[in-house]
Amino acid sequence: MTTSTGDAVRGALTGAIGSERVRDAEEGDTVGGVRPRWVASVATTEQAASAMSAAAEHGLRVVPRGSGSKIDWGAPPEAVDLVLDLSQAGGVLEHAAGDLVLHARAGTPLDEVRRVAADAGQQLSIDQPLPTATVGGVIATGTTGPGRHLYGAVRDLLIGITVVRPDGVVTISGGKVVKNVAGYDLGKLYTGSHGTLGVITEAIFRLHPVAEQHRWISVTLDEPAAAGEAVRVVRSSQAMPTAVELERAGTTGPITVCAQIEGRPGATHQRALELSEVLGSAVGVTGEVLDTAPEWWGEYPFDGDTGLRLGVEPSAVAALLTGAQQAAQRRGVTLRTRGSVGLGLVHAAIPEEVPPATVAELVGELRAAAAEHHGYGVVLRAPRAVLASVDPWGPIPAGVLTLMRRTKDQFDPEHRLSPGRFVGGIR
Amino acid sequence: MTENPIQSASEGAFDAFHTPQRELVDDCVHCGFCLPACPTYELWGEEMDSPRGRIHLMESGLDGEPLSGSMVEHFDNCLGCMACVTACPSGVDYGSLITQTRAQVERRHQRGFWERMLRSTIFALFPYPRRLRALRGPLALYQRSGMAELLKRSGLLAKLPPHMRTMESLAPPVRRAPKLPERVKARGQRRAVVGMVTGCVQSAFFPDVNAATARVLASEGCDVVIPPAQGCCGALSEHSGREAEAVKFARGLLDKLHAADVDYVVINSAGCGSTLKEYPRLLADDPDYAARAEHFSERVRDVSELLDELGTVAERHPLPGRIAYHDACHLSHGQGIRSAPRALLREIPELELSEINRGDICCGSAGVYNLLQPQAAGQLGDRKAENVADTGADLLITANPGCSMQIRTALERRGESMPMAHTVEVLDASIRGTGVKSLSER
Amino acid sequence: MQPASTANQTEAETAPTDLEGLIGRFREALAPESVITDPQRLRTYECDGLASYRVVPAVVVLPENADQVGEIVAACAEYGIAFVARGSGTGLSAGALPRSDGVLIVTSRMRRILEVDVANERAVVEPGVINLDVTKAAAPHGYYFAPDPSSQQVCSVGGNVAENSGGAHCLKYGFTSNHVLALEVVTPDGDTVELGGRARDVPGYDLMGAFVGSEGTLGVVTKIVVRLLRAPESVQTLLAGFPSTDEAGGAVSKIIAEGITPAAIEMMDALSIEAAEQAVRCGYPEGAGAVLVVELDGPAPEVEHTFAEVQRHCRDHGAFEVRVAADDAERAMIWKGRKSAFAAVGRISPDYIVQDGVIPRTALPEVLTRISALSAESGVRVANVFHAGDGNLHPLVLFDGSEPGAVERAEEVSGSILDVCLAHGGSITGEHGVGADKVKYMGRMFTEQDLDTMQRVRCAFDPDNRCNPGKVFPTPRLCGEAPGQRRGVHPLTEAGLADQF
Repeated sequence: MTTSTGDAVRGALTGAIGSERVRDAEEGDTVGGVRPRWVASVATTEQAASAMSAAAEHGLRVVPRGSGSKIDWGAPPEAVDLVLDLSQAGGVLEHAAGDLVLHARAGTPLDEVRRVAADAGQQLSIDQPLPTATVGGVIATGTTGPGRHLYGAVRDLLIGITVVRPDGVVTISGGKVVKNVAGYDLGKLYTGSHGTLGVITEAIFRLHPVAEQHRWISVTLDEPAAAGEAVRVVRSSQAMPTAVELERAGTTGPITVCAQIEGRPGATHQRALELSEVLGSAVGVTGEVLDTAPEWWGEYPFDGDTGLRLGVEPSAVAALLTGAQQAAQRRGVTLRTRGSVGLGLVHAAIPEEVPPATVAELVGELRAAAAEHHGYGVVLRAPRAVLASVDPWGPIPAGVLTLMRRTKDQFDPEHRLSPGRFVGGIR
Repeated sequence: MTENPIQSASEGAFDAFHTPQRELVDDCVHCGFCLPACPTYELWGEEMDSPRGRIHLMESGLDGEPLSGSMVEHFDNCLGCMACVTACPSGVDYGSLITQTRAQVERRHQRGFWERMLRSTIFALFPYPRRLRALRGPLALYQRSGMAELLKRSGLLAKLPPHMRTMESLAPPVRRAPKLPERVKARGQRRAVVGMVTGCVQSAFFPDVNAATARVLASEGCDVVIPPAQGCCGALSEHSGREAEAVKFARGLLDKLHAADVDYVVINSAGCGSTLKEYPRLLADDPDYAARAEHFSERVRDVSELLDELGTVAERHPLPGRIAYHDACHLSHGQGIRSAPRALLREIPELELSEINRGDICCGSAGVYNLLQPQAAGQLGDRKAENVADTGADLLITANPGCSMQIRTALERRGESMPMAHTVEVLDASIRGTGVKSLSER
Repeated sequence: MQPASTANQTEAETAPTDLEGLIGRFREALAPESVITDPQRLRTYECDGLASYRVVPAVVVLPENADQVGEIVAACAEYGIAFVARGSGTGLSAGALPRSDGVLIVTSRMRRILEVDVANERAVVEPGVINLDVTKAAAPHGYYFAPDPSSQQVCSVGGNVAENSGGAHCLKYGFTSNHVLALEVVTPDGDTVELGGRARDVPGYDLMGAFVGSEGTLGVVTKIVVRLLRAPESVQTLLAGFPSTDEAGGAVSKIIAEGITPAAIEMMDALSIEAAEQAVRCGYPEGAGAVLVVELDGPAPEVEHTFAEVQRHCRDHGAFEVRVAADDAERAMIWKGRKSAFAAVGRISPDYIVQDGVIPRTALPEVLTRISALSAESGVRVANVFHAGDGNLHPLVLFDGSEPGAVERAEEVSGSILDVCLAHGGSITGEHGVGADKVKYMGRMFTEQDLDTMQRVRCAFDPDNRCNPGKVFPTPRLCGEAPGQRRGVHPLTEAGLADQF
């Protein structure tokens, strides 16, 4: 490779969006260990489109990036030429408070969205934990938090989306009204697609009013079976919990099940006391009503560790926890678990220091335990050495994988967007 | 008098005499709300066996499609239960449409030999109370008339004999019910004078119901006038498209009852009641009878409707037990009478009323439908019997003799049984204080 | 072979198809009464709930299970013949309009509720199951199925999936797509796949999300796993009569602004009240220029408090009568008027168009004024029924088809209403779908490139355009070379960057 060819590409990018927006990639720009050549930083949909057109012209492989809080999630890309940095493409474009709708650019930090909505007593009910996460990144990874139990996941809250296609064309799907069935709902397809179908540049969400009071009802139990029963009792109550979470700090030991309820002042506390009583008598342990969420609430149990998302049908949470406990015990690994058990979702952390081969075996067993209950296990992020020996996505049934592959082929026929990052080795 | 000049007797499914009205067909907006209400759609899930589909067929017929065998089959499949009329938000007068269509079918469609034989046998028998009464059971006639041999030779009708045999077993031995007097005096203060229509099947097979009706009405302060030797009201004929026959019967009944000076005309059989209320339409072309029919039908009441309207005065004695109330289609859908019988039954102390799941779906009796379409009727009967049995009631109440026979047979096929009574029999037992066993251990 | 590839059927241009051969195949796979070819019978299937579009299908098949659907679709693929799926045939956008050269696959015999799993708060149903029957099956366990289109007593869950049906309660609870966990689907190739899953967030593209609401253009659904919701502890419903839609609209805005999320807020204007009254004698307040139906549900102490607030907001905004449903029967009566409103309009007008547009709720007063103006200018009466909470309007444009020019005038007003919706940032359909009816308006809402992008999904599922062709998209996208052909090393890597430039 000669300097002049690199210059030609860089020149094309500069010509498209301005020289101040293009730079050479640095060590910190690596994506899953793969170092790109350039970083283009865009501030608007139009700039993103221009950059993508230039990239298309030169056949560049592109990985879009927001704040980079989850850039290490998913499989390492097959190759990257250009990181399209959308962290400067921020800003809430419109907050139609009377319509409970908010329109923001993809690079807008979720915290900013939260602040703007809160001024009108509203919220975007995506309470994912990463402090710098952006709108675009949250959509691309489909990350949520406890509040998803009642308010729904990203796919349920996203009502309109603007996406730049790999060929640089700007397209929209949905709109700014909540109720809308005109055309295919591509917002759902882009949600969780890990930057493989298009570059998300703007999104429109539905908001919810913020309740005046929140309470947390917490019970701590010794065994998965009791925890499973506690979850069942809360779920099937008419107390309308807005979240049902679980925390277990070690492979064995106490399990805390904690439900959130919300509503108007006074009555909410009273309802919390009632639910606590029902819960306590069902599992034989006195429940506790908290004025603030427990400190672990909504946080991931992993950081530099191997972090998994395990999903099963909701009634199988106890079985999953038991299976996970046994698998970890057999290997003497400390497994932390935490998550939205009301929906059958659990995050698990395998410490960073566990040897990759052991991690791979454990992941296999966790997947097997989940699969017994219509479930799966996804490695959200992991040390590079672990990813070398584990397919982070796990198996996908052949028929569906064919459709997914064809979908990718249609959206990105040249395989230039985040190739290899997604399920089944889709490139 | 057709509205459609394009149409002539030689084109399309219908002739110009009482053509199914295009305006009524056009009232259907194709919303489909009638589909789940329709028993045949419930059975087969086919558009052409739904009310919406049948109206569509009528429309094709008006547009020039011939009255083909398949078209007729779907009209014949209709039970005429009128559940679709209840379900229809657009107010389509399906009753008129299907009646007009059936009359056209009878006139213009040549049925097969065996089917014609079957139909003429049925209509030579059922609308004639005296012929019915003369029988020890239908089987007697079936054998005597030489039908047995004919039917045996017909593959199509191979299913019929079991039904007739069943009916023979169902038909209560013609009891020596006291002959009804021509007038029963009101007990206590007289509140109304009512004429009573005694019906064909009711008077032949269920004379107790007529006796109970007269007693209950009298107890509630009605003078009951019962003209003797009443003929058929024409319901069975009308519901099967035998229009001329129905008109003849209607005139006859009007002659009998018109003479009586009454405030109300009361009927305890749902199918008959719904036809009595339709006399003005049936006799619209008859200058001598049109006005009388109008005057007559205004005064027609189902017995439960009248009792509810008058309000009760006679004391109710407790009838401890659980009953299930079966809505006869011609009462609930045909006449919109659902709450009156329930209200009357709820007035009885210690009597618990259960609802039947999917109670708005026809039991399959539907006049003579169970004789003409035994398979569909049997399936509907089985479904009804299952839902009836599920109530766990001690006694099934229904206001139509056809329903009683149909459900009884269906329960027996399941190896079950449940005593049955008419609403007025329960009221009668309560008023007279004869206890629930007087009904369940007959 | 690519028959039936355009909205306008041009039989002459397409290769002759072996329909008889296909029918023969159907007769081998299905019971005799499940293959309909009699012309009169076929004609009863010529339209769905939108009877102004009519095409008699070449053949109708009534499969009884998923395997049969698989066989039918595979046979269609083999013979290159287009097919359209239909449930109860209640759609209002002609989404199930048959093809004269194609097969109509009717799921009305696939109506088994296969499973009600309370522990996992879900039910598994076949596509022909009636929406309301899901709730009836779940109710004894204290659960219900949330999507409740006005036709819920007749529409099928399969149809709900195709149309992403909403209903009055989707303001709080969302649409069908928020309540489906998994779908078993026969793809246009005849393969059976499961989209979504019984666990949440299964890895991979959310193809189920794209499938729900795709109006039968991506495949035929044969099994649906739906979420069941716990029945609320308390439900309160009120009916408020207002002098006009202005006051009623003001009350709606106030209620939402106060942070209240009702289960439903429905509005009807004087004309639609009149129709409902004639149809079902629902006993709405006399002389009302508008009524609001407001329903709240949730934990009893919350509902009790909020319900009092809602009543106050209604009175503050000029409600002259506020009637609270005392029991289920009264609640049912209030809803009966609303839910029968469309068909009931047949009582006050010989013909009408049911429009379905969406606007941001805050634009309601402006848009209603504009609709009245359109009505006044054209002399075409418009009755309004709407889901006021989410800005989903159902203007009912009344006309008499026997008057010359009336249809055209009504259609013009109806189309103009959609333009008004779009001008306010809304949508051309909130729940009825695009079908065949609104294809012509898609270009007003989306660019060609937007539509092209959507059709890439279509190409992934149905490259030969055989699955409900002619619906949703004004122009079919040519899917080009068979997808997935291009494999191997990326050209840039292969050639090396230097060679590239």
